[in-house]
Amino acid sequence: MEFPRYHLDIVGDLMDGKFILASDPKFIELKNNQQFYERFFKESFKYELELKSDYGYILSYETNEQLSRDICIFFAILCYELDKDGKNFLEELQYAEFELEQIDNYFDNSPYSDLIKSNKQLQDPESRKQFLNTLGRRNIIEKSSEKKFTFTQAYKVFVDFASDFAKGKLGESDEPMADSDNGARIIEEV
Amino acid sequence: MKAEPKTILYFLSNYFDTIKGLFEIQSKDGFIKRERLHQLLKEHDNAIEPQLHEYKILRKVGEDFEIRGVYFNFFEFVFNEFRPLLPETIEKYAHSIGELFKKIREGIHKDRNILMQRISDLYGEIKDFSESVEKNTLRLLVETRELKSNVDKIDYQEKVRKASFWIDYYISPLNQILDVNHSQSITNRLFDISNYVNVRRLNFDDEMVRQQFEKTYNFLVQTNDDLLRQSKILTNELLPLIERIRTENMILTGWIEFLKKPHKVQVPQVFKLFRDYPYSNDMYYNAKEYMEQFAGDEVVIIEEQDVRASMWLFNKEHYREMMMSKLPMNNFFDWAGSTLKAEYKTVDTDKFFALTTLLFEEGIMLEFDPEADKKVVRTTQMTLRVPPIKVLKYGIS
Repeated sequence: MEFPRYHLDIVGDLMDGKFILASDPKFIELKNNQQFYERFFKESFKYELELKSDYGYILSYETNEQLSRDICIFFAILCYELDKDGKNFLEELQYAEFELEQIDNYFDNSPYSDLIKSNKQLQDPESRKQFLNTLGRRNIIEKSSEKKFTFTQAYKVFVDFASDFAKGKLGESDEPMADSDNGARIIEEV
Repeated sequence: MKAEPKTILYFLSNYFDTIKGLFEIQSKDGFIKRERLHQLLKEHDNAIEPQLHEYKILRKVGEDFEIRGVYFNFFEFVFNEFRPLLPETIEKYAHSIGELFKKIREGIHKDRNILMQRISDLYGEIKDFSESVEKNTLRLLVETRELKSNVDKIDYQEKVRKASFWIDYYISPLNQILDVNHSQSITNRLFDISNYVNVRRLNFDDEMVRQQFEKTYNFLVQTNDDLLRQSKILTNELLPLIERIRTENMILTGWIEFLKKPHKVQVPQVFKLFRDYPYSNDMYYNAKEYMEQFAGDEVVIIEEQDVRASMWLFNKEHYREMMMSKLPMNNFFDWAGSTLKAEYKTVDTDKFFALTTLLFEEGIMLEFDPEADKKVVRTTQMTLRVPPIKVLKYGIS
């Protein structure tokens, strides 16, 4: 039986929770063999393969909710602070190189300080450094040096979540009783 | 107040939703109209008006009501929803703090007890001032984020009008109060006080007074830091409000709404690592990531199910009066059973036992024959065999 090129690395990366990015040669193989990998992960582990135009990842039946929540809080505060700083946060996420010092500056002076201090992964520069290492291992950021990094296209998973969440909220204000079309992911737990 | 403190707290907890409703009405209208109170109680199917008065939660104002200050402040704190105070209300502290400081300096070598009282009052005034500023900043942040998030989809002109209102009446004046560059600002006065107290905590003769200066000094250092932080929020975040609301973005709206209750929203799925081999390169980091999930004492919000159990409150006075009107009676338990049956169609065990406590009231005499046959009372949960107890009015029957 013949397997796609980079098969071992593709499976290894995805099973390590990494996003495979369009800039990676493995992405082409994954895309070209989408049906095979969808079946492969479904039949072998009951995992779902999510393949977008510029990144791919798998979803386990159990989610790492804590990490996901921390990532959302991280992006939420960062976008809020970038906007306050007069920057176009989407352009920044897409193209800018960030420095740890800049991130620390935003988080240490944020009015969301209560939320930040109560979060083990974001509460101080050292925890944030470790947290960014976790994002690096998942390919959500790419480190250019010890203190500098850029976001990969994987940031879109979280930014899309925020956008869908807003649509749900705006929908609520239009028709309070209507079912929003925001999908199961963003339904607020009451 | 006759009620036990615990009873009041249980009451607040059991009728939380109704009380929150009352709080919201008063926050909006400044008082609670009689009709609104009755409507709210009807909506929640609660007949708790007597308790609201008995526990001194509501105060009558003419024909209407208001929540008493002590409860209102408590609810503000619990709900984290503060009324914005006009800066002129906050500014009154400038006078009281200035006056106390002047008196402390003038009377530094006079009566020791008065001096200590003044230092203690100064401490209290500074604390109230600092808390008022913090509450105002929090409230202004909420208001301005609402404008930025704009979930209500108000048009740009209306947004600017609202933003101008907040800036003109609240943000700018508050900024002046806190502005360190403004010589008359309270913040500057607190710096002066801090310098004076710093010297006195080291060189004052009396040890007790010295300790009080020390405590005030430490508090002032912390307060000055807090005020500086509030001032930064005002200058960086609130004053440029009109500029900031110029742009709107769906994603930012989503994030602002998410940050209101970040622990109650279902977040995107992220792959959970399940297995690791000890020889894997990433073993250390994966193990660390796994352990970090359990390491944090994250804020856990557990929202109890909205149990709408109809909580029955025993109105002792009501039943006591009913009992007294029927005296003398030959069998107390017969009366208790038939009273409950007439009122509720069934005899609930808890209610039956609650009525039994009337036997210990003053003003009655009990007679019972230990030899007499016991009577059977069937409640919803059990069958009770009780002796016939004769109840007489004390001294008359």
